[in-house]
Amino acid sequence: MLTVWAGLRKLPSWAFPVAFAALLLAVPLFDVGYEATRYIELSLILALVVSGLNISLGYSGQLAIGQAAMYAAGAYTAGMLSTAGHTDLGLHIVAGGLAALVVGIVTGIPGLRLGSWSLAMTSFFLVLLVPDVVDIFEEKTGGHLGLSGMLGPTLFGYVLKPADMYLAIVVVAAVWFAVFRNVVVSRHGIAFQVLKQSPVLASSLGMSVYRTKLTGYAIGAVPAGFAGALLANLDLYLSPEIFGFHLATGALAASILGGSVSIYGAIFGAGIVQFNNDQSSEFAQYSLIFFGAFLLIGGVLLRGGVAGVMRNAVRRLDRAAGIGAAVVPAQATDSATAMRPISGGMLEVGKLSKAFGGNQALRDVSLRAEPGKITALIGPNGSGKTTLLNLVCGFYRRDSGSITVAGASIATASSDRIARLGIARTFQTPLIPPGITVREVVISGRYTADRAGFLSAVLRSPHFRRVRERDLQRATEILRLTGLIHLADSEAVALPLGMRRMLEVARALIREPKVLLLDEAASGLDENEVRTLASVVRQIRDAGCTVVLVEHNFDLVLALADRIVVLARGGVLAEGTPAEIEANVRVRDEYLGVVEEKDRQVSS
Amino acid sequence: MTLIYAGLSLGAVYALVAVGYNIVFIASHSFNFAQAQLMMVGAFVAYLGYVTLKLPTVIVIIMAMTAVMLVAAFEERIAVRPVADHQTQLITTLGFGTVLTGLVQVIWGTQPLQVPFAGGDEVLTFLGGRMFPDELALVVFAVALVVAISAYTQRRLNGLALVAMSQDEEAATLRGVSVRKLTFAAFAVTGLLSGVMGVLIGPKTYAVATLGAALALKGFVALAIGGFGSMYGGLIGGFAVGLVEQHVARYFGSGFSNLSVFAILLLVLLIRPTGLFGRVQERTV
Repeated sequence: MLTVWAGLRKLPSWAFPVAFAALLLAVPLFDVGYEATRYIELSLILALVVSGLNISLGYSGQLAIGQAAMYAAGAYTAGMLSTAGHTDLGLHIVAGGLAALVVGIVTGIPGLRLGSWSLAMTSFFLVLLVPDVVDIFEEKTGGHLGLSGMLGPTLFGYVLKPADMYLAIVVVAAVWFAVFRNVVVSRHGIAFQVLKQSPVLASSLGMSVYRTKLTGYAIGAVPAGFAGALLANLDLYLSPEIFGFHLATGALAASILGGSVSIYGAIFGAGIVQFNNDQSSEFAQYSLIFFGAFLLIGGVLLRGGVAGVMRNAVRRLDRAAGIGAAVVPAQATDSATAMRPISGGMLEVGKLSKAFGGNQALRDVSLRAEPGKITALIGPNGSGKTTLLNLVCGFYRRDSGSITVAGASIATASSDRIARLGIARTFQTPLIPPGITVREVVISGRYTADRAGFLSAVLRSPHFRRVRERDLQRATEILRLTGLIHLADSEAVALPLGMRRMLEVARALIREPKVLLLDEAASGLDENEVRTLASVVRQIRDAGCTVVLVEHNFDLVLALADRIVVLARGGVLAEGTPAEIEANVRVRDEYLGVVEEKDRQVSS
Repeated sequence: MTLIYAGLSLGAVYALVAVGYNIVFIASHSFNFAQAQLMMVGAFVAYLGYVTLKLPTVIVIIMAMTAVMLVAAFEERIAVRPVADHQTQLITTLGFGTVLTGLVQVIWGTQPLQVPFAGGDEVLTFLGGRMFPDELALVVFAVALVVAISAYTQRRLNGLALVAMSQDEEAATLRGVSVRKLTFAAFAVTGLLSGVMGVLIGPKTYAVATLGAALALKGFVALAIGGFGSMYGGLIGGFAVGLVEQHVARYFGSGFSNLSVFAILLLVLLIRPTGLFGRVQERTV
């Protein structure tokens, strides 16, 4: 049994969907009858709509329920083209996709500004508007009576018979799912997951949060448009009632049930929901109850939907069959791998001030961090270290003062722009998206440094392949350097804290930043891990990068830093070499004194 | 004037939805997608009490309050408590609302049912405009409810605890506030209120299964205009939506009323995403 499984797993992962598509194409040969054919057709059309939901909800984390409206946009575009005498199915599909894309972009722009509920509501609102808009353009759309009088579809002049329509639907669905898969498994899929986990992380990697969200949402609209065009040509009749809340909740239920973060879950979910829709009318009146129940069950019990369950089953069978268990022994940092030189840039902060309400967090702080040097920033809790870091990264707006990187002022640039100027950082609490491997986490650091667009990802263009080649190669180098290479294919969130911190360093480093900000990178690490971290940080400095270290571990700072800046109560208390700082009386009082007093309290 | 009264009473319905959203939002920072459906259930219970069972008003109101409170409490237990993150709560509460819509459709069908109003249906004339008694009651109830809730949250310890919790759940827990209990209580109270709301809106909107979706959206627009968590904001937002909708329907045709509300929503989100009474929060790492 397990050997059969092992054999199956040797096949490339795309073999199964291809086989499924071939099976669907072959269905007419078996003469299954009208009802079964129609069920498959409608399920596939619904699956297209659902796959769009998966992109926006599952992958980019935006709850958008307006897919029904984009579906309507595609359908009515095709319907109006047809009544106007343009019957080419290819034209309809392209026009339908474009119409849906426009609706997606126009409604996504305001809805995405506020995030979760706003988008949910603006997109839900679209569904309410469908009948109104259709009524307003009654002459062209037929109003609430429906649009009839469509001509039969053609393709390059050839008239498509019902049997041909079946093939057309299967082919469009198959092509779309191939496109969908290519986007999702590429670096764009990883980027979406990064964004979903944490917008802060995404922007600190240089991704524009808003644009990435909008892209996900807009791409999700396209297949709904295709589906609409197909539906219009299948039925040659449209009515606004088709595109109501029933469809909207049904599509959402299918997405949740099949698994939003999955590719083929959409087909499964759509199949189930269509089955509920399609049965004798007696069953159909309970369909809303079923949809609601799917949403509840999917949200509460089945996180990840059926696709999630399948994935776990595959993993378990793999383990039983001993696949992918080749254990590479852990190895220390591979110092033989030389670090590539990094052209660092001077970070200059001049007279920086920031107040939160009445609390003056920073007052006229100036400092310089030079390339090829480690500048440590120390100070008691609340002295303004993290505030300073967040100002440099653009997460806060400064009240006054200047920040320049390699001579260029960051002015009021957004955080993602600042990141693209060459500032990389790690976080006090490591931000690692769930569900992706260590290697993918590292590669996500290169998303904006080395671009490859969506289209090239879809087509797997030579450019895309070259970028991917570089991604993999650089990731391997960096992982070797940070001693994580033996974990490259493990799930990243499952790593212990020390390794997640190192992974964050690796992700920041792969961008070859001018300035690297390490926010308490050593806290919570054991002695060995601290030693490894110190050696990696030294290598980064020697490669030429400007390193800024925010740290509580005074011994580590003394051992590592070239220059130390001490903050206290929002101002610079002292600045100098480690030896100077160690000897500074005020620093002892302010900083170390506090520590000693705490120790005394604890021991007494 | 009649047009303004119609707008205000319709706006009161939306304001009530917004109040329901707000109570849950203030208590738990989650968004109860099923709020409008709770009110819809209240309206159907009112129909059941008045028309089917021919009960007196007091009993009908108590019946609606109890029934909807139980439904809301059940919702908290199965759709909110087991789900940690707010994004998923959107999906599960939407699911719960969909189940309610589906059940109501199966039980009462899809035709709108007229719910009578206890105060009669003789037209009142006031300041040169005419309105029905139930419309007047809606406006008065919405205003009174908002004033009462605002006073409560500012004066009473429980109210303050609610606000504290919405600000920082962890800090509130450390102060001895039981977040769980409060969330549950918020849903139960919302349910009680939604029961009364259902009895009141029934005469105006009729009891109909499709009520949920439209009310949910318009109530949300009221909330977006007023700012999340702001009771007075929701009230003003509700009235604004009602007035615009009625005027647009009157002068441009009813096909444009939803569109106009949508346009307002887009404008608010683009120009002032925090709403008129909302506050901006700086993001933190």
